[in-house]
Amino acid sequence: MTAEPWGPAPDGVDQPYWDGLTRGDLMLQRCDNCDTWIWGPQWICASCHTFDPGWQRVEPVGTVYTWSRSWYPFISELPVERPYVTVLVELSGAGGRRVLGILTGDDTDQVRIGDHVAGHFERDDGATWPMLRWRRVESEGAAA
Amino acid sequence: MSTIGLRGAAAVAGVSEQHYKRGEAPAGELRMTLEAVTRACADAGVSPRELDGFVSYAGGGHDGSVIGGALGVHDVRWSTMVWGGGGGGVAAAINNAATAIATGQADCVVVYRAMSQVDTGRLGYAKYFYGPHYLAHGVGSPAQVCALRTQRLLEHDGVPREGLRALVLAAYRHAQRNPTAQGYGKPLDVETYESSRLIVEPFHLFDCSRESDGAVALVLVSAERAKALRDDPAYVLAGAQGAPGGYSALVDNDEQYTSAGFAGADGRPGVADRLWAQAGIGPADVDVVQLYENFSGPAVAALIDHGLCPSGPAAGEVLTVDNLTAGVGKLPVNTSGGNIADSFVNGMNLAVEAVRQIRGTSTNQVDGARTSLFVGGPMAPLVSSTLFAHGDVL
Repeated sequence: MTAEPWGPAPDGVDQPYWDGLTRGDLMLQRCDNCDTWIWGPQWICASCHTFDPGWQRVEPVGTVYTWSRSWYPFISELPVERPYVTVLVELSGAGGRRVLGILTGDDTDQVRIGDHVAGHFERDDGATWPMLRWRRVESEGAAA
Repeated sequence: MSTIGLRGAAAVAGVSEQHYKRGEAPAGELRMTLEAVTRACADAGVSPRELDGFVSYAGGGHDGSVIGGALGVHDVRWSTMVWGGGGGGVAAAINNAATAIATGQADCVVVYRAMSQVDTGRLGYAKYFYGPHYLAHGVGSPAQVCALRTQRLLEHDGVPREGLRALVLAAYRHAQRNPTAQGYGKPLDVETYESSRLIVEPFHLFDCSRESDGAVALVLVSAERAKALRDDPAYVLAGAQGAPGGYSALVDNDEQYTSAGFAGADGRPGVADRLWAQAGIGPADVDVVQLYENFSGPAVAALIDHGLCPSGPAAGEVLTVDNLTAGVGKLPVNTSGGNIADSFVNGMNLAVEAVRQIRGTSTNQVDGARTSLFVGGPMAPLVSSTLFAHGDVL
């Protein structure tokens, strides 16, 4: 599969995020000047207006801020069986920034807001980019 | 510094609304736009040649020079598109027309929107509506982003899901008395609603608006002119727009996550606060509401933002089918059937119903309605509201 409608932006604003996925790292922006965590990717820090905020590796652990289960085939290129659950995860180590991801495992029907989750990286067959995906875990910081 | 007030400066003198099942319009968007504009002019009692302002939103085609040229207007003095927000900008378009009139930039302004799926495809299932940081995680439709926010509204804030259902059932109840509604003759009961297929949780099929083909136009003139044209103009009492929090640019990192976008925060008046301040009246003074329901959840969040309904479990006391029904309840909402049970022409059809309520010509008329609130697309990147009023209120 080469026609994924995702990947680095042509202007390069989020290239380190995608390079991080390839290495198995979750990379988020953090302003070099004022330490503010930033997501989604921006050219400028909204807090102090410094251009080109830096990037920092973040441990992919956090809690479910919200979730939804998609039944309709919204995205034909998505190599994931329907229905699937998308979670919005509030990261524990990034100033409360939230990232989206698909929830995997055999207990996705149990998902609730506040659940502890841990991230892992999966590359689907034929996919160009690995994806950060999530599993429910017993406690904060537990391994996926 | 002196400012020019919007309150009561302009009024809707003419309206036109036509809709068809999606994909079945007998004409394309340009022709339907011209039909709607000329019919709205006829309703107002003005010649299309008098139009000098043209306003739309959501990136619709056919700007002022195109429509003005086709109608042989004397001059196009105002041609403006609300920038961003999709259907969230629909009320902002009306406010924009009123602003042009209040400031003397134009005298006779038409606000319009036409949709034909043959021309522009479907809105709600448009792929690539969001960027790669949504798409990669299976989120590509406004339905899904609204579902994520609605799930937190229910599970975290405690708004009962039955409240969402009541909004949908009340819309269908209204549609049974509106012969032009697409839901006319198709009453909806609890069981049918609950057993309808899931689209994206927590939304069932009936929580999602229709998409219709059609065209809608509103003609606005100064209050003075409106009074000369007809005895029941719908005055623009107040209007506001806003884009708090960044919304989708921040990939769901905006702070007031379960707000529909109209709410203020400490030290920052929101769209609803600014609306009430301009109007000089509050939510308790609103007689009837036309509420853009892209989906049931965001519509409920918009009621909460406007102070028409409490948040949390207490929302269930306001959101009952009876309380939302014209002639029965205290908060009649979507009296034509709304986007869900009447038709969906990017929400502009609701503005026409808001005007009908002031005129006293709705098929679900609220007795003596003097204030009529129109709320644009909720949980959109930019949102807007317009409060219409009868001349008695000025």
